[in-house]
Amino acid sequence: MIKLRHVSKIYPNGARALFNVNIEIEKGEFVFLVGPSGAGKSTLIKLLYREEIATRGQVIIDQINLMRLKPRQIPLLRRKMGIIFQDFKLLPKKTVFENVAFAQQVLGKGKKEITENTLKTLELVGLARKKDCYPLELSGGEQQRVCIARALVNKPSLLIADEPTGNLDVDTAQEIMEIIDKINKMGTTVVMATHALHIVENMKKRVIRIEEGKIVADSKEGAFIN
Amino acid sequence: MKLNIVKYVFIQAFSSLSRNIWLTTASILTVMLALTLLGSSILFLANTAYVAETFESQIEIAAFLEEGLSDEEITQVRNQIARLPGVAEIKLTTPEEALAELQRSMGTTTLLEDLGGVNPLPAKFTVMATDAHLVKNLAVQIGNIDGVAKIRYGQGFFEKLIGFTDWLRWIGLIVVALFSFASLLLIAMNIKTNVNFKENEIQIMRLVGASNAFIRWPFIIEGLLLGLFGALIAIAIISFSYNSLLDYIINSLSFLPIVTDSDFIQQVLLMMLGYGMGIGILASVISLSRFLRN
Repeated sequence: MIKLRHVSKIYPNGARALFNVNIEIEKGEFVFLVGPSGAGKSTLIKLLYREEIATRGQVIIDQINLMRLKPRQIPLLRRKMGIIFQDFKLLPKKTVFENVAFAQQVLGKGKKEITENTLKTLELVGLARKKDCYPLELSGGEQQRVCIARALVNKPSLLIADEPTGNLDVDTAQEIMEIIDKINKMGTTVVMATHALHIVENMKKRVIRIEEGKIVADSKEGAFIN
Repeated sequence: MKLNIVKYVFIQAFSSLSRNIWLTTASILTVMLALTLLGSSILFLANTAYVAETFESQIEIAAFLEEGLSDEEITQVRNQIARLPGVAEIKLTTPEEALAELQRSMGTTTLLEDLGGVNPLPAKFTVMATDAHLVKNLAVQIGNIDGVAKIRYGQGFFEKLIGFTDWLRWIGLIVVALFSFASLLLIAMNIKTNVNFKENEIQIMRLVGASNAFIRWPFIIEGLLLGLFGALIAIAIISFSYNSLLDYIINSLSFLPIVTDSDFIQQVLLMMLGYGMGIGILASVISLSRFLRN
């Protein structure tokens, strides 16, 4: 599903974010990216959704070589993936329902399909009852669930998460992880960057550790020990 | 599916327009001003050209003869003029007739005595051309005939008129260009404001894979609508005032020639419409070009 071959990323200001990274992720896998701040986790995540482009090497997702992707093809790549962030990025003037519906509206889907998908997805993340609330009326955990619903509503095969629990307390973070795990068990590949080690230890999944732009450990399920 | 997109685009464009009502009004008014100026300049220039052409077609050439020609020589000159192509009519004014006319116009009967009994006025042929375009050429040819001392035709007036319209064309061009530029800036500013306002929304649209075209369209439609509304007001102003002018001239100043060709007027109005929408689209494209690049 995802292949990174000899990937390096040097920002225009000279900062070396990644150095000769090789990763292969199978379809349906759940992979954590861990490491201290500034290690290159976010850069790696950004390479996956083609917000950044690698300086060297190859990034291949679903047989699409992102290095050769033309700008106008980027939207097609992004439709294959759902992306969630630490800061949610919800639209405050839209209700929960509208926030999730918006992601489908902009792809030109029909009203009936949008309503159906939105309700189903809100059900999945346990927010069906709050569909008419505005984001600011929700707790942090609920807002993140809206964000997950929005990322999932177009049925992506890959879920990319950059510190999705970063703003949440331990219990709420655990709830979010249960939802993400549920989604993974339904067949969606998950790549999640985090520095919350307790989560990583609880989940017992594959863990890739990055330090100073290099992969220092890639351990299969449960083998991660700090 | 297509219909959903079109609907979405238009709803977004209209809500953007209403969000910033003052900037929207200012944008529309500048487009209107630019186009009203453009339209009136074109109609004014078309009319001056038309006036020149109409008067030119009625033009006469005055050929003043040398002094002391015999009747026979005068007849010879007349025959030579008559042989030239494009001559419609020749009329002779003798020095006596010329003097009488001058006395009449000055309201005196003693002009000859005042001048010491000598009539200084030469005999003159008044030549009418069959076609306005032949006048200049004809005048030169008549001037070359032996016995013709001097010719005069409306050259001064038309040179001045044409000089004036040339000058006006430049002024018009500059003023229209300035106002077009102002419209461009205001519309671009309007759209930029809305782009900034929707920054979060645009970011999310990009993340969920909305195409750039889809993100751009509402803004392009917004620019187009600003140009369109400005153009429609300008068109209403121009067609109303030109029609009133037409009525007034036809009823009260019927000797003044004015362009009444409705096809031409329609073309001017259509051009204004296209120009307005063009400015709007261009402004959107300019303000969008710096973002959505990757």
